[in-house]
Amino acid sequence: MEHYDILIIGGGVAGIAAAKAAGGARVLLAESRPQLGGVLLQCAHHGFGKDKSGTEYAAELLQDFPEEITLALNTTVLSVSENRTALLSGRGFGRKRIGFSRLILATGCREIPMGALPIAGTRPKGVYTAGQMQELMNLHGFVPEGPAVILGSGDLGLIMARQLAQAGIDVTLVEKKDSCGGMTRNRRCLEEYPIRLLCSDTIREVRGYPHITGCVTASGECLPCKTLLIAAGMVPERELVSHLGNPDWLHICGNCCAVHPMVEAVANEGKQAGIAATEKLGGAL
Amino acid sequence: MKHVDAAVIGGGILGCFTARNLRQWSISTLLIEKEDDVCREISKANSAIVYAGYDNKPGSLKAEMTVRGNANMEKLCAELEVPFDRCGSMMVSFGEKGEQTLRKKLEQGRANGVPGLELLTGEEARAREPMLSENVTAALYSSTTGTVNPWQLGIAAYENALQNGCEAWLGTAVTAITREEEGYRIDTDREPIRCKYIINCAGMYADWVQAMVHPVPVELILNGSDYIVLDSRARKPRHILFQERENGKGLTVVPCVEGNLLLDSPARPLGQPWAVSAGGLEKIHALAPQLLPELELEMTIRSFGAVRPNPRSADGKNLPDYCIETPAPDFLSFIGIKTPGLTCADELGRYAAETCAEYLHAEKAPAFDPRRRAIPAMKEDPDWYEIVCRCGNVTKGQIREAIARGALTVDAVKRRVGSGMGRCQGSRCTLKIEKLLEEYRHGAL
Ligand SMILES: Cc1cc2nc3c(=O)[nH]c(=O)nc-3n(C[C@H](O)[C@H](O)[C@H](O)COP(=O)(O)OP(=O)(O)OC[C@H]3O[C@@H](n4cnc5c(N)ncnc54)[C@H](O)[C@@H]3O)c2cc1C
Repeated sequence: MEHYDILIIGGGVAGIAAAKAAGGARVLLAESRPQLGGVLLQCAHHGFGKDKSGTEYAAELLQDFPEEITLALNTTVLSVSENRTALLSGRGFGRKRIGFSRLILATGCREIPMGALPIAGTRPKGVYTAGQMQELMNLHGFVPEGPAVILGSGDLGLIMARQLAQAGIDVTLVEKKDSCGGMTRNRRCLEEYPIRLLCSDTIREVRGYPHITGCVTASGECLPCKTLLIAAGMVPERELVSHLGNPDWLHICGNCCAVHPMVEAVANEGKQAGIAATEKLGGAL
Repeated sequence: MKHVDAAVIGGGILGCFTARNLRQWSISTLLIEKEDDVCREISKANSAIVYAGYDNKPGSLKAEMTVRGNANMEKLCAELEVPFDRCGSMMVSFGEKGEQTLRKKLEQGRANGVPGLELLTGEEARAREPMLSENVTAALYSSTTGTVNPWQLGIAAYENALQNGCEAWLGTAVTAITREEEGYRIDTDREPIRCKYIINCAGMYADWVQAMVHPVPVELILNGSDYIVLDSRARKPRHILFQERENGKGLTVVPCVEGNLLLDSPARPLGQPWAVSAGGLEKIHALAPQLLPELELEMTIRSFGAVRPNPRSADGKNLPDYCIETPAPDFLSFIGIKTPGLTCADELGRYAAETCAEYLHAEKAPAFDPRRRAIPAMKEDPDWYEIVCRCGNVTKGQIREAIARGALTVDAVKRRVGSGMGRCQGSRCTLKIEKLLEEYRHGAL
């Protein structure tokens, strides 16, 4: 069985930063996508680091990526065991179990899908998570049909509201709280574009089949739409280690630790995890 | 003009099993389905339960077929390589009135020849099912109740029917049927068909299909119900549970073969077919804690609505038994076959095939092969190492194979390999699967 000092799961900002900081150790970084960068790859908007786009930020972070790190791209970690082995599966990698001394979990977070929410009505086409739409628009040149409704006015909801408005699409944001969430700079789109914001409200029902035709809010308003984006929050992706308790050899960093609004915080956490894991290897190195 | 011996109208689970059973005879068979895949309607939105047979009146077709269908399920699922879990069930009550129902069901079950029934006290029930509420006073335990994925079973029967020479026209709606000198002419939105025998398996539309050519003495009244699915990581009971409340039926809870937990609310008026009702979701949230106080409803990943067809006679009476119509010697209809139609799918399919074979004086087909191979979990091939659906660890190889076996849509792929069924509900894999479908369409042209 192959053995590594450190196994890093996830090649987004946190995983990249951790790998860069883990100097000298024998490191394997497994990433399920075909390239490093994680969610940044689909972020065409600015606001990363000193106002770079997500893709620019990722490119910069990757500039001095150490060559000695073993990269397993297109490779997914299926399970992690208490005996410090992990089962990996990937195109070039094959399906095999490897051993490791320390584990850095940098798997990021996933979006809450519509199915998880208590929404009645049909299950039509035209409903996406906000991140899914971001990927579709920025990486595949897709333009959705308007009008659009976005459930949730956090940062991702606002970023997508801006992008849809820029594409000339009529947008309504529906927010459960009594005021818009998200950072000030993301909220600015509400002044710059004719985006409607409905606060203290939520979506109770979806209408239309096979394609969505509208949503009904809890306050009873019917919002006609051809696209519904769910931006109702993110969940840290920790299922791979949830059965393990809190072993000394496990480091969790980035959005799988807690969902961070700023990329620098994620990069920093990744770096700290890389340094800590290397230090803890101690005599083993 | 297409010529066949038997035309099966409707590719729900009954149409699929009817087609498979017809191919055990030398009867040329065409399955006609209006949707782009089989098992899209009632056969996809149901409770996935293989019933034991204590719910039905002694002497009824339902009782007889359910007991037999249940007993044969291991063999059937082994032939078709579909997972089946004989997890057992408990019907639980919360007081004297409910207990009366349990005793009645126990008696009925014994009369029907159902093995493995036991009446338990609340204590005994909780010892076997620790998640049960303290308020449960008694339970009817049934060791033979089990669960199977309904569309997997239907698709497996469909694939096996094709493998044995059945033809299928998917995406083809029957629009008219005319009596001919011998047999029928079926008009579709494609080519017309001439056949000697029709088996009408059109589910919630079966009354309407029969009315195209024969009178229908029954009418289908539709109602609905709502389902919630919990993530495979949520705490779940070991048994299927039926909540028998003092004031009527409560929830049905099913630990599915995929590891998810399915919660089914009591029937409600129809509303829009297949839509989820807000009231139904609220009802599940209200009833669940009474049955299983520690249920983690916050781990919901999906909800969906079901349509329930209820056959009613011309004078307005509900028909409790299966409604099998033979308005002519060369025409058989399954009209609104509801619970336990999944349990009895093979029994009903065999019944239809035998009736048809007798009419056509058909011989048994010696070459019939009952074995169908499931899509394997693993192969030594790069495509089978690459994970596409991260929640379910479904590989590109599995998805390619599902497409090669006829899946035309993301939804059809999902029903064959379980992609997009997990906690992210396809938000990460849908696009990749669409691409694979696209690639296939281009390659196949
Ligand atoms: C809510 C619910 C829960 C249930 N739970 C269970 C359970 O736990 N256990 C159990 O044993 N049973 C259960 N059942 C019963 C079981 O699901 C049904 O008996 C079974 O699925 C019925 O299958 P079907 O083929 O008749 O109907 P369907 O699956 O609806 O198939 C009919 C098909 O006909 C096609 N069609 C209709 N009209 C035309 C046309 N003109 N041309 C071409 N095609 C046409 C439709 O598209 C459809 O695919 C449940 C039923 C319901 C409603």
